[in-house]
Amino acid sequence: MRRIRTRLRPFLALLTGALFFLPIYLVLVNVFKDGSAIVSNPMGLPLPPTLDNIEGVLTRSDRLFWYGLVNSVEVTAISILLITAVSAMLGHYLARSTGALGKVAMVALLCGLMVPPAVILTPITDVLRSLGLMSSVPGLVLAYVGYYVPFGVLVFAGFVKTIPRELEEAAELDGAGPFRVFWQVVFPLMRPASASVLIFLGVWIWNDFLNPLIILGPATGTTVTVGIYRAIGEHQADYGSVFALMLLSTLPILVFYLAFQKHFVKGLTGGATKG
Amino acid sequence: MEIKTRRRVRPPAAAPPGTGAAAGGQRDVRAKRRPAPSRRARSRAGLRRFALFAAPGLLVYAALVLVPIGIAVGYGLTDKNPFDPPTEFVGLENFTDLSSDDEFRTALKNTVVITAIVTLATNAGGLAIALLLDRRGWLYNALRSVFFVPVVLSAVVVSVIWQTILVDDGLLNSMLRQVGVADPPGWLSDPGLALYTVSWVIAWQGLGFCVVIYLAGLQGIPQELHEAAAIDGCGPLMRFRHVTWPMLAPAVTINTVMSLIGGFKAYDQVQVLTNGGPGPGTTSTLAFHVVQTAFSGNHIGYASAMAAVMLAMVAAISVVALRLLQKREVSS
Repeated sequence: MRRIRTRLRPFLALLTGALFFLPIYLVLVNVFKDGSAIVSNPMGLPLPPTLDNIEGVLTRSDRLFWYGLVNSVEVTAISILLITAVSAMLGHYLARSTGALGKVAMVALLCGLMVPPAVILTPITDVLRSLGLMSSVPGLVLAYVGYYVPFGVLVFAGFVKTIPRELEEAAELDGAGPFRVFWQVVFPLMRPASASVLIFLGVWIWNDFLNPLIILGPATGTTVTVGIYRAIGEHQADYGSVFALMLLSTLPILVFYLAFQKHFVKGLTGGATKG
Repeated sequence: MEIKTRRRVRPPAAAPPGTGAAAGGQRDVRAKRRPAPSRRARSRAGLRRFALFAAPGLLVYAALVLVPIGIAVGYGLTDKNPFDPPTEFVGLENFTDLSSDDEFRTALKNTVVITAIVTLATNAGGLAIALLLDRRGWLYNALRSVFFVPVVLSAVVVSVIWQTILVDDGLLNSMLRQVGVADPPGWLSDPGLALYTVSWVIAWQGLGFCVVIYLAGLQGIPQELHEAAAIDGCGPLMRFRHVTWPMLAPAVTINTVMSLIGGFKAYDQVQVLTNGGPGPGTTSTLAFHVVQTAFSGNHIGYASAMAAVMLAMVAAISVVALRLLQKREVSS
């Protein structure tokens, strides 16, 4: 009885995993088939494989993929670096402050964690328009910084509590100003927190759809995620090139994720087990 | 003047407490006279520190989240429409209109249905799969990554994948026809079915998150508890009921709150899979309806009133859910 059960588990696990993965398998194999093979034999392996779909996306005359890629890299990279810096400073400041105002600021920030983007999207476009930043990459970056600072502060403020205050006091006694104490002593110690903030935000911002759709608008071009949405409108039936576009658009963030995977799951579960 | 010179000579930092009081009377007097300038100096340093470290984040947050929330509530009291000026103050008219607006009610109902299905499905499925994968070895490690892949993908990509599978002449239906189903269902085109299909896609994408959280929770349960329960005569089911399940309470809290908030935000999947259809608003969610009303219909005032109601609901649900679930954590 026991033997049967121990043999059953890997089999059952494998079956569930395979069923779950089927939709992604479908994309992976059909990227390398031509149109007729996709229709006649969608589930089969691509034999012989063709790179026509990928080549087609890379050499599109409107350069949809390349413009989107430049925008996505620019927006994601600038946003995550800015948010990490700003929320590390703010999180450290609030975790160390003892006044009532600091507590109020913390609660106000935590409330921001649950605000659905759709609720504030219209007013954000007004604010950005009045700053002259609507339909621009800096405008979108600014919107992300505001929206994701609460998440960063939550992670960093939690982490600061594990850093002994004596380290900062020692640096101060040695004559370091507050700026130097933070960037040369505190910030390097918060590397695990920085890593999880960077990775979470990298994935979220790269994959975001609604904000770039409205804030960047069609005039400034798109990010890769919005580009996929625009592309399915054009040629619904051409699965091969849509799949290729999706694969190429996902590849950068997938590599980024795999490189830092350990931190991602650690960041995810750090809060979970603490409760 | 005298105070100033003295300040320059002495280090501004206060002497360790106690030394002043312990040493004779004269020092004591000086120690008592010092606080005024040193407090001002300290507050100036504090202000600088605030400006350097806290102000940038708080300022951007205020300008792009708090102020917009205020503006949204404010707009909600007007009939703002950029193509139909002037904007007039209409009081609570938008809110009374909402209570009898069928489209809004449908969107609200759809949001509740999606949120409920997604929360239940990802938690139940996530826990089951976590229990299945809670073993050591390369196979289980690899499968863990498999379930997590959709979490890293964008909702747009996930929706497009499922769309190619679920459209009327898509992969699923052509397979069903091959095995002899003459008239397979219109997963995305049947008004009675589309909402559940959308929920399914959202749940499929969120499942991996729950799996990872539950696995971490399972691995945090000390083995001794299982052994003790086994010695006391508990079978596998009893052990789950009395050891595993209570010990997973924090993981349940995280997963439930995240799914609730995530379900309420549902937008991308609706726009890509069904664009709110088939038919008028059969799969439209609150987030989708707010954005449509604001940016396609240009009824900014009315959309803002909806947004304010939506925000109040999310806040109420989050607070209630957190309270209930954390009470469970404490008592168990």
